[in-house]
Amino acid sequence: MSAYRSVSVLASCISLLLAAQTVAADDASVRRDLTSAIALQGLPCGEVVNVIRQAENDYIASCKDGNRYRVFINPQGRVVVQKQ
Amino acid sequence: MAWRHAITLAVSLVVGAGLAPGTVPARRPAQAAGSTAERPRANRPGLPSPMMATDRTTKTDSPAPKTAPKTQSAPETIGAPALDLAGLEKRLRDTKAIGVFTKLTLKNQVEDLLEQIKSFHEGRGGATLGELRERYNLLMLKVLSLLQRDDPRLARDLSASREALWNILADPVKFARMARGGEAR
Repeated sequence: MSAYRSVSVLASCISLLLAAQTVAADDASVRRDLTSAIALQGLPCGEVVNVIRQAENDYIASCKDGNRYRVFINPQGRVVVQKQ
Repeated sequence: MAWRHAITLAVSLVVGAGLAPGTVPARRPAQAAGSTAERPRANRPGLPSPMMATDRTTKTDSPAPKTAPKTQSAPETIGAPALDLAGLEKRLRDTKAIGVFTKLTLKNQVEDLLEQIKSFHEGRGGATLGELRERYNLLMLKVLSLLQRDDPRLARDLSASREALWNILADPVKFARMARGGEAR
């Protein structure tokens, strides 16, 4: 019974770790995506270091240089970067 | 400025002989610093999204000192690879190397450029063909720099098609046909 419990605890830990890894990878890809989108608009940022998701396709991005931008897709289908 | 040089260098590394420093556009496209990209306008689903090419015909980026002088128009089509616009567009759409926001931003910028080229062909645009070519080159650099790390094959294929793409955009008849083809899709 004890061995069974140990195995299930271990399995839970592994799944949690894998889930955390997936979230981290997603977060990194979003940060990279927003970094590129902001740079393409010609706005200063350097690199996005933190992202807050406000809604679907609507983020607040904090940049390495201290700038903060709201990045979202407007109803016309255009990416809008607004300085906060 | 340093940003532009970095991109030029990076793209040159990937593209190899495809780009020379002299081909780098002299200025950025009209983007007001600090402004947003929000410019309400009608969607133009009919226009496909061909990407950019570097300028080989308007600037002397290759010295070629020992060859006999050639005519300006001759090298454009000889030996050019077959252009698969739809395939390139699909690969750009599907590539994982560029995120959703970045893809959409690029798409917006390509559509803006296509609109400017359309205006030029209709004789109501403010920009000259040379200026449009500069914008085209810059956009191509952006796309290539984004692709080169995670999708080098697409970057290479896109780069190889740049001259053929520009030839379509610069020719009013081909451009109109392409626009109609996009609408039909």
